[in-house]
Amino acid sequence: MFLEIKDLSVKIENKNILKSLNLNINKGEVHAIMGPNGSGKSTLANVLAGKEDYEILNGKINFKDNDLFDLNIEERAQEGMFLAFQYPVEIPGVNITPFLHSAINSKRKRMNEDEIDNLSFAKLLKSRASDLGINIDMLKRSVNTGFSGGEKKRYEILQMSILNPDLAILDETDSGLDIDALKIVTDGVNKLKTKNNSFLIITHYQKLLDYIKPDYVHVMVNGSIVKSGGSEIAAEIEKDGFQKFQ
Amino acid sequence: MNIQDNYQKNKKNIFFSENNDVKSHREKLIDIFENDKFDKKNNESIKNINLKNFLDFKYRYLAPEETSLISNNNDNNYSIVSVNGQCSSFKDDKIEITKILEEDYNDFSENNTIEKNEHFVNLNSLFLNCGFKIVIKKNNNIKIKISNIVTDDDLTIFQKNNFICEEGSSLNLIEEYENKNNSTSNILNVIKLEKNSQLNHFLIQDNSPSHNLIVTSHSSCKKDSTYTQKVYNFSEGYVRNFHFSELIEINSEVDLQGIFFLKDNNTSNNKTFVKHLAENCKSNQVYKGILNDRSKATYFSNTHVDQVAQKTEGYQLSKGILLSDNASFFSKPELKIYADDVKCSHGSTIGPIDENAIFYLRSRGMSKIAATKILISSFINEELNSISDDQMAEIIQKKLVRYLSKVK
Amino acid sequence: MNSETLNTLDTYSKNKYKYGFVTEIDNDKPQKGLNEDTIKFISLKKNEPEWMLEWRLKAFSKWKKMKDPKWSNLSFPKIDYQDIYYYSAPKGFDKKPKDLSEVDPKLIETYNKLGIPLEEQKVLAGVAVDVVFDSVSVATTYKGELEKLGIIFCSIGEAIQKHADLIKKYLGSVIPPGDHSFSALNSAVFTDGSFVYIPEGVKCPMELSTYFRINAENTGQFERTLIIADKGSYVSYLEGCTAPKRDDNQLHAANVELIALEDAEIKYSTVQNWYPGDEDGKGGIYNFVTKRGLCAGKNSKISWTQVETGSAITWKYPSCILKGDNSIGEFYSVAITNNFQQADTGTKMTHIGKNTKSKIISKGISLGKSQNTYRGEVSFLRKAEKARNYTQCDSLLVGNQCGAHTVPYIESKNNTAVIEHEASTSKINEDQLYYCRQRGLSHEEAVSLIVNGFCKQVLQELPMEFAVEAQKLVSISLEGSVG
Repeated sequence: MFLEIKDLSVKIENKNILKSLNLNINKGEVHAIMGPNGSGKSTLANVLAGKEDYEILNGKINFKDNDLFDLNIEERAQEGMFLAFQYPVEIPGVNITPFLHSAINSKRKRMNEDEIDNLSFAKLLKSRASDLGINIDMLKRSVNTGFSGGEKKRYEILQMSILNPDLAILDETDSGLDIDALKIVTDGVNKLKTKNNSFLIITHYQKLLDYIKPDYVHVMVNGSIVKSGGSEIAAEIEKDGFQKFQ
Repeated sequence: MNIQDNYQKNKKNIFFSENNDVKSHREKLIDIFENDKFDKKNNESIKNINLKNFLDFKYRYLAPEETSLISNNNDNNYSIVSVNGQCSSFKDDKIEITKILEEDYNDFSENNTIEKNEHFVNLNSLFLNCGFKIVIKKNNNIKIKISNIVTDDDLTIFQKNNFICEEGSSLNLIEEYENKNNSTSNILNVIKLEKNSQLNHFLIQDNSPSHNLIVTSHSSCKKDSTYTQKVYNFSEGYVRNFHFSELIEINSEVDLQGIFFLKDNNTSNNKTFVKHLAENCKSNQVYKGILNDRSKATYFSNTHVDQVAQKTEGYQLSKGILLSDNASFFSKPELKIYADDVKCSHGSTIGPIDENAIFYLRSRGMSKIAATKILISSFINEELNSISDDQMAEIIQKKLVRYLSKVK
Repeated sequence: MNSETLNTLDTYSKNKYKYGFVTEIDNDKPQKGLNEDTIKFISLKKNEPEWMLEWRLKAFSKWKKMKDPKWSNLSFPKIDYQDIYYYSAPKGFDKKPKDLSEVDPKLIETYNKLGIPLEEQKVLAGVAVDVVFDSVSVATTYKGELEKLGIIFCSIGEAIQKHADLIKKYLGSVIPPGDHSFSALNSAVFTDGSFVYIPEGVKCPMELSTYFRINAENTGQFERTLIIADKGSYVSYLEGCTAPKRDDNQLHAANVELIALEDAEIKYSTVQNWYPGDEDGKGGIYNFVTKRGLCAGKNSKISWTQVETGSAITWKYPSCILKGDNSIGEFYSVAITNNFQQADTGTKMTHIGKNTKSKIISKGISLGKSQNTYRGEVSFLRKAEKARNYTQCDSLLVGNQCGAHTVPYIESKNNTAVIEHEASTSKINEDQLYYCRQRGLSHEEAVSLIVNGFCKQVLQELPMEFAVEAQKLVSISLEGSVG
């Protein structure tokens, strides 16, 4: 099993957010989690990435034969987990290029691979950026600083394509994007898809799933997955909303 | 005459001079005066004033002939006239008013928030000759208006008032200082907010040029309490507003605001100081001043965050507008922070009225003076709009109009 | 002491000088303590003309009447001025570490991280070395090139000998010896430092740096630097180096004076990394520095950039007096304190002329049990029409044992001038840390990256090569306190 979430219960500040949640993802699969606001979707993403604000009450998560709770945030990232944030934070003064360069090298180090040098990295970054329609000038700026909503999301996908994760979690990547930007972003994601990596797409709307075809769709309500199936579920939600699952 | 002689000569007329604890405390205070070189460089609280006038004074106090009036207009509305700092006793099931008591003499110095060389506070303690204590009883919600009246010329009023808001109580307190005689009032307000209580404190200051007013306050807030203070200084005489606040228990808040309008040769010294001594508290310190003619002002603000006071939010702002070539403004917004999980900031600006805005208004047909007046009003718009009491809003508005009428 | 007594003393001491008191003092063994004899000894050692000695003695008599300034937020034991050596070259080898194994291993570790060659490490660590590694040839090459342009760049001692007119005119003109006790002290006993004169219209083609000289002479304790940029000239001067430097002298009190005449510009950059003491706060340099620039002419500009990471105590306020109309003063500062370090640093911008502008960007980072204070004064005098100031000072706290303090003094006496001041204090942003770590950076790397980003506005003001080193230095300064 690639990612296995078993009976996961999580609370934050005395509020139970996830309740006995189960989810399995295999290599090469694309999973989508849909749910109304406040159902715990983003919490799940953050718990997977290792954000420290949460209290794990119960459950186990296995990722690539590791007990995920034994790894801290950066170790999970270095093992190949990537979270495309819903609201990427601005980090003034920290230039994008060296930032991403040290990120990729810390991953390579853990994988016992050689570090990538300045020049090759710059080349890689440039080519990936142009694939995503990102202006080279943007690479001179500070991380997320002064970016529009769409630019931030695009830049998340650029990072994803550079870091080439085994499991990519997309947290409401579609929010705040117009249709053109959505297309560019989802094109980027589709290009990255291989037999060896997996995607977990978290979304509120079914729109995104028109562009990225999931193998499985899960409906999350009130901290647990209440229904799983194929992409027909997305259509069902589009038609009737989340009401009937609650 | 030096302080020591002045005290010895007049101690018959000074409160608590027979009490041994008070005596020994006062001896220490006299020592402080005698050993201080009054170096303005090292004691900024005396910047911009002629301290000599305040230290070398002729002590004179008259007990009021008439006792003051306390009227209870309706159930929750009280109106008090304090005459030469005195007020008759009163008691009902909501409030209790008494003279200031011996036990209240030195009840503000526990956390050293007021420094040892705050000379005006020390003078107040030394020459204390009047004052009262008001207790708002548990869970009551009332409004009090106090008019502070000084009856004669050449009086030196050293007044100490205590305001205690018991648990769950809420008080709207309006204090008016409008005196035309040639006297000096040195007032120390000690304010205690118990759990979950609230005090909205308004000070309206509008004395004639001959009247000096020194107001110091020391407030302390317990759990979930909120102290809000708004000072409106329209005085033509010297005014010193020094307000100290301690947040001693969690979730308490303090908001110290002031606006001052200066003209002619007038001087105003202002200070706000908030000490965060508990977690999760908030503070706000905002002063704005308009300075015309040869007026001078200072404003010191200070947010002190103790090591235990995590999750503090502290904000400061000072803004000054200089209307004339000869006016000057000094501000010192200070942050002293010993805890890491804090959000503190301050902003400070000093400058003329925005030339571009004047130009814009003039291009719409307004005269330069009219434009200036409008822009001054808008500078303090927020403060004026936040006055919820209609009657008070009207009073403030009138005073503003009077000030603006002198702006040329 | 009345003036008559002083005069008598003066005459007495002058006579003593004339008749050669030197015999009383062992040449190679400097005496502890500060008195007129010490000063005469220094002056004699430096082979100074008599007017210089008089200047020093005058400063000394001022110093005797002064008390150390008290405004700072620092606490340290009273300095015993009689327990200090004031003339430290030639220094006896007996007190120095014999080799690197006797030096604080943390220091060596830092040298290695900065990639400093072994020989150089020895010099920096104050190890007794017989042969100082040779950079003299480099220096002379540059010297020749500068001479062609008429630029004078030499030690202050040499300038006193060779350029007496300039020294007489400018020394102490920006920082009068009687300004405060540390300036009086420095004026009385300064032993070395740099002198720079850029002639009219000359743009100095290279960054001038003390680094060229530092190996040859034992500078540092009471340095005196004087830089004069004549009309329309430009110079960029670098002081210090990123490597932590050890010194036996605990008290340092340098004075730096800058003078920019009409249309001239001086850019002065410092990286200060004196030994801060060990992790328990033992040892370390007390650094009381007075730096002041005078924008004397119209359209002149003086810009201070500093990265302060060293010293147990830093007391330093590089300032600008904006006298010429349209002149500009700038101050960019990063101050990092860790362990038990204390820093009280900032600037003073005094606007005198019309249309003068100043800008202050200060970034303070406190870690460990340190105390870090920004103290700055901006004042607009009556004549400073249409003057402008913008100040931004931000503090970052890492850990809950340290303190960050901001103490600005803001005064305006002119109603056409505009002062704007902003400040903030917060801890390092958790969301930023999370974001960086999610991308695979370690906690320590993430902190270092974010702090470097926080300081960028200042670091980018440094000359290119320096900036890269400074970034490394920032990261190293954060080590050990994060996690």
